[in-house]
Amino acid sequence: MSSPKNITELQIGENAVIGEFSNCHVACKLMAMGLLPGSSISLMRKAPFGGAYYIKAKNHYVALRSNEALSVLLSPVL
Amino acid sequence: MSEALQKIALLGNPNAGKSSLFNQLTGLRQKVGNFPGVTVERKSGFIKLDDKREVEIIDLPGTYSLYPTSLDERIAVNALIDVNNKDYPDAIIYILDVTHLERHLLLLTQIVDLGFPVLVALNMNDIAAQQNIQCDEKKLSEALGIEFIKINGRTGEGIDIIKSKLPQLLSDNKTGVRTSSFYELAVDEKNIAAKVGALLPVKNEYHALLLAHHSKKINFLKEDKKQQLLGIVQQNNFNPINNQLDEIMQRYNKFTPIVNTVLSRSFNNARTLTDKIDFVITHKFFGPLIFFALMLFIFQAIFAWSVIPMDWIDQQFANLATYLQTVLPNTILSRLLTEGLIPGISGVMVFVPQITILFLLITLLEEVGYMARAVYMFDNIMQKFGLNGRSIVALISGGACAIPAIMSTRTISNWKERLITIMVTPLISCSARIPVFAVLIGFIIPSFKIGPFNSQGLVFMVLYLIGITAALIASYVFKKILKSEEFSFLMLELPEYRKPHWKNVFYTLYEKVSSFMFGAGKIILMVSLVLWFLASFGPKKAMQEAVNVATIESSLLHADKQTTELLIASKKLEASYAGYAGRLIEPVIKPLGFDWKIGIALITSFAAREVFVGTISTLYSIGKNADNMTIKQKLQQEKNAEGKSVFTMAVALSLVLFYLFAMQCMSTLATVYRETKSWKWPMIQFAYMTGTAYIVSFVVYQIFK
Repeated sequence: MSSPKNITELQIGENAVIGEFSNCHVACKLMAMGLLPGSSISLMRKAPFGGAYYIKAKNHYVALRSNEALSVLLSPVL
Repeated sequence: MSEALQKIALLGNPNAGKSSLFNQLTGLRQKVGNFPGVTVERKSGFIKLDDKREVEIIDLPGTYSLYPTSLDERIAVNALIDVNNKDYPDAIIYILDVTHLERHLLLLTQIVDLGFPVLVALNMNDIAAQQNIQCDEKKLSEALGIEFIKINGRTGEGIDIIKSKLPQLLSDNKTGVRTSSFYELAVDEKNIAAKVGALLPVKNEYHALLLAHHSKKINFLKEDKKQQLLGIVQQNNFNPINNQLDEIMQRYNKFTPIVNTVLSRSFNNARTLTDKIDFVITHKFFGPLIFFALMLFIFQAIFAWSVIPMDWIDQQFANLATYLQTVLPNTILSRLLTEGLIPGISGVMVFVPQITILFLLITLLEEVGYMARAVYMFDNIMQKFGLNGRSIVALISGGACAIPAIMSTRTISNWKERLITIMVTPLISCSARIPVFAVLIGFIIPSFKIGPFNSQGLVFMVLYLIGITAALIASYVFKKILKSEEFSFLMLELPEYRKPHWKNVFYTLYEKVSSFMFGAGKIILMVSLVLWFLASFGPKKAMQEAVNVATIESSLLHADKQTTELLIASKKLEASYAGYAGRLIEPVIKPLGFDWKIGIALITSFAAREVFVGTISTLYSIGKNADNMTIKQKLQQEKNAEGKSVFTMAVALSLVLFYLFAMQCMSTLATVYRETKSWKWPMIQFAYMTGTAYIVSFVVYQIFK
């Protein structure tokens, strides 16, 4: 079994569902911003100069740094 | 019988429309100050309720939850958990964006659990309708036991209902206070809460638990109480972060099913307007290109558009001074008026067009949601220089004024990144440098067209670019010197694009411009008056001697009456107090190409850079009938003792670069002191900036002279 995918491994436009977070600080902040385990997200863009990811969840938009995006683990696609 | 003024806090998530509601509620009856001890802006306003009672409305900084991740969020949270806080509210109006209902319920249920009477203003119903979201607010009120009122922050719809409900909210019968808590504390949490409750004044269990949670960063308790609190936390092996995660999950589990019953929404996967705009705006290639085009546009706007109203204002004051000179008798009082006061006020007013245009554009970019995109696009580059993506907002605002820019760094949670941003922001050319540059740029390059651009506009652009580059280099150096192991993050919400709310833009502009006129303006005016005094008066003996020497010299030269008067005036100025000060520093600034008159301007403009222009014009207009001439013409006529022009290209270039780099602003230094709570940082800032300025000006003058 390979380890679960994270946000940095998504292709632009690809949809996914958040499984869990591997960093509690990131988890607390993102959950307060409305990104929960079970939320479906899609990767909108990667930053022009790299290092940041722009994701969409339902009707809200969040930008994450690489290390934050790494800690958002995605549910395996069924 | 006098009753203490009751306070109502306005609270909500970022981008919920809090400032719109605040403006609708209070209008222009607003008061802007600082939260005690920090320079986070504290906005409050007063309103009269239906029962004639006056209450204070406090606009608390927006936050996602009671677990803050930045300084301004912490201020909001402190006001809610510290019962002795000056801003501890009697009740809360919670502003909620219905299109993000679920997420905004998190903080709402937290403040309800803290035991506050809460009234909810349900905002953005028009946008919800466009997105096919319908919310049954009656059902929601019933399910949560809190009153929800639909409002429209833009049109003001529903505001009257909010106002009419306030007396009831503030009354003693506890409307809006729920008896049961949303969050059920676990057994060990109840244990800790009980112990904290025995130590500190708390409203309920949840309040006690929050105090335990924030124990490490609490700053409002006496040291012994804080140690005891930390002791409780340690003895019970309390793990704040796990407790926080559990609490957030439990809250969502509780209200998500409710949201699903009251909200009917049909999500379609069609691309929204925001998706479409961001397809271009955040594009890998076009995104940065658009950003730089916007910045270029802002520079051109400040430089080109503001010239007309500025010239007009300048001319009006000059006309007024000339007219009064012909009408009034020649006394000290009338000279104070026409040579000190009127030019001083003119020096403040002439700035208003530029500040208005710049804040208008920056506020607009902020309002429509563009700024957050700029933060996201440039976060990585900023990181390389030891800054944060959010630093870009400070660096751009620094183009208007370093003071609000430095204050805006409070959204950067990492101390090192925040400190570096504070240290380098004043290198970005602020609007106060514009008049200095504008006067001197004519000596560097004549005005002509290069394609669609004006040559002087392009030189301005180059000066700005030098400032930006210097700021980045300085950041990099600070990054290498300063050490930090703090947690740094981006995690930024990109708000949906919205039409600007003109009322908010207006209030922001009104506040910024009036704070400039009455804040910075006061200093500028005072300095102009002091300067007029210094330049008009001197030691009696020396002044008399100056007149005598000039009279003898002119009779030897067989000079006409006008030349004699000019000579007397200039000798008197040399003998004045201002002349003494300028001569004192002349040896230091001589290698930069500056004479003692420029020396005087350097000293006085430490109050604010733009004072340079006022000083120079006062210095060269004193005793001459030259008030209505433009400053530039005056400077071109200025000759030194050997009859050579003082303002050569080399001197102008050296001066421009000096003002570009030097820390010539005491208000900024005072702000840095307040933000960093130590004189160490403003002193370092002054030393490195003015040191750089001296070296650069020295090298440039020696090359070009």
